[in-house]
Amino acid sequence: MAGLTELIFDGQLYGAVAIQKAAYRAMHAFTLDLKVDGDNILCTLVGNITTEQEAFERAVEEFRKDVLDYQLRAQLQVETAPIRNLIIGLAFSNARLNPSE
Amino acid sequence: MSKFQGLDAYTRSAKYELLPFKFDRLEGDNYVITNMTGEYLEVAKPELHVLLAKNLATEHPLFASLRAKHFIRYADEQAPLDLLALKLRTRLSRLTGFTSLHIFVVTLRCDHSCPYCQVSRQMDGETSFDMTSDMADKALDFVFRSPNPAIKIEFQGGEPLLNFEVVRYVVEAAKRRNLEEKRDLEFVIATTLSLLTDDVLAFCHEHDIILSTSLDGPADLHNANRPRVGRDSFERFEAGLAKARNVLGVDKVSALMTTTDKSLPRVREIIDEYVRLGFNGIFLRALSPYGFAIKTRKFMTYDTERWLEFYKEGLAYILELNKAGIPFVEHYASLILKKMLTSNDPGYVDLMNPAGAGIAAIVFNYDGSVYASDESRMLAEMGDQTFRLGNILTDSYEDIILSDVLLDALEQSFTLSAPMCSDCAFEPYCGAEPVFHHAIFKDVLGRKAESSFCKRNMSIFKHLIGLMKSDTSTRRLFMQWANAC
Repeated sequence: MAGLTELIFDGQLYGAVAIQKAAYRAMHAFTLDLKVDGDNILCTLVGNITTEQEAFERAVEEFRKDVLDYQLRAQLQVETAPIRNLIIGLAFSNARLNPSE
Repeated sequence: MSKFQGLDAYTRSAKYELLPFKFDRLEGDNYVITNMTGEYLEVAKPELHVLLAKNLATEHPLFASLRAKHFIRYADEQAPLDLLALKLRTRLSRLTGFTSLHIFVVTLRCDHSCPYCQVSRQMDGETSFDMTSDMADKALDFVFRSPNPAIKIEFQGGEPLLNFEVVRYVVEAAKRRNLEEKRDLEFVIATTLSLLTDDVLAFCHEHDIILSTSLDGPADLHNANRPRVGRDSFERFEAGLAKARNVLGVDKVSALMTTTDKSLPRVREIIDEYVRLGFNGIFLRALSPYGFAIKTRKFMTYDTERWLEFYKEGLAYILELNKAGIPFVEHYASLILKKMLTSNDPGYVDLMNPAGAGIAAIVFNYDGSVYASDESRMLAEMGDQTFRLGNILTDSYEDIILSDVLLDALEQSFTLSAPMCSDCAFEPYCGAEPVFHHAIFKDVLGRKAESSFCKRNMSIFKHLIGLMKSDTSTRRLFMQWANAC
């Protein structure tokens, strides 16, 4: 029988996108049903038919770590986006992609 | 009075700023962080959180490395941005060159009947599967439209020596054209060496042609992988190798192995055979999912985990050999290490983003069809024409290079905007591989969480980082591999 687990994340601390990204990474083991209920984000994780119980439990543990990682990544990306754009601008500002120029 | 100011004068009171980087978990609580140009550091989880909160003390052992590798800067520093931009531009400089590798499939005929073969096998005498000189002329028109100053023409088959007249024709015609074009022109023939003759070798010597051949391991394994009439593929290979090296020089003959399920328990023997025959390295390749490999379901029984064991065992053995004084390289690792430890891109098509299909390599089939990559024509031989870009008899260079088929595949598979890849710390080392993912998922992007390409490469990236951390002599050796020409 496929595994089944429910998790609740605090919507003030975690974004739905971070949870979705973590679930995408775990799709080899389970699928996610996501629901927002007030300040809470409710997650129902349903193991794939081919996922053994032990593998499912390991995947859930990884998922919890991934949610935190993706949340931090999102914060880092927002904070560093202007610098990233500046670096890309510097890198290609004189790229001479057109040899006739 | 001292000529120098005290240390206090150099201490900054301002907080550092974060530069763009990505992170991913390694084993346990450790993380790898990579910047936009692939430089990396390993940090423990608590350190990562302190770093992100901008609370890492300047005295912390990581602080200097983080500044040196451009993960952090002080707000008034411009140099880290200039250096990151320069390194980024260096890594992507291959894009301005555009297509370099041009593959001419001069015949589908072959004297071997390998069960895993990636293209249909045809009878030795059936010339309707040969490229004609008219077709070759059209292909050469296309080749010299590429703006790349370095042009490599590789002859493939089938067995290209079965249509050597066209090989000869293309080499001579290309060199004539190059008197005006003045490109850095290079020729390679991919051959099993089974049909090598003195005439062929004399021609190769005269035109500085490199031979890229196949060696799958010891004689019994090689012959089992590569059946031919007479069951003498290995014997012909060994004799041809000696003859070719004698005429062309040792460095003009390279070998590639094909991994099959029979290879998996025998990686040490395979490496020993390469050492015995005087090769200075091996490319431990994964089985491709194209051609008969899928048709015969060989690929389906082929487990990525098992292949990773094979690869890691082989790499460990190669490290042992090096420590015992036998210099020997694993070429896939060296390609990745070049990406990890230098600012250069080795230009390996499978590990490119944007994908190398069409814009790094392009294939002219015997019938004039143009494909985005060698794998694309293998797919076409299985009935899937998705990556057929056009035909050199009817379509112009612009029609083919600007075709929606090619541009859509490049754009849709771009890893910096792909789910999972765009957040992945290993993205600077990896590739888009639209053709592989299309073959497996019928979608150029594919679901990376279920992709054996992703699983295989992530595991190798982590393994290489772990090896470098565990042993300084391995790190030194890997630095040599990364910086080899």
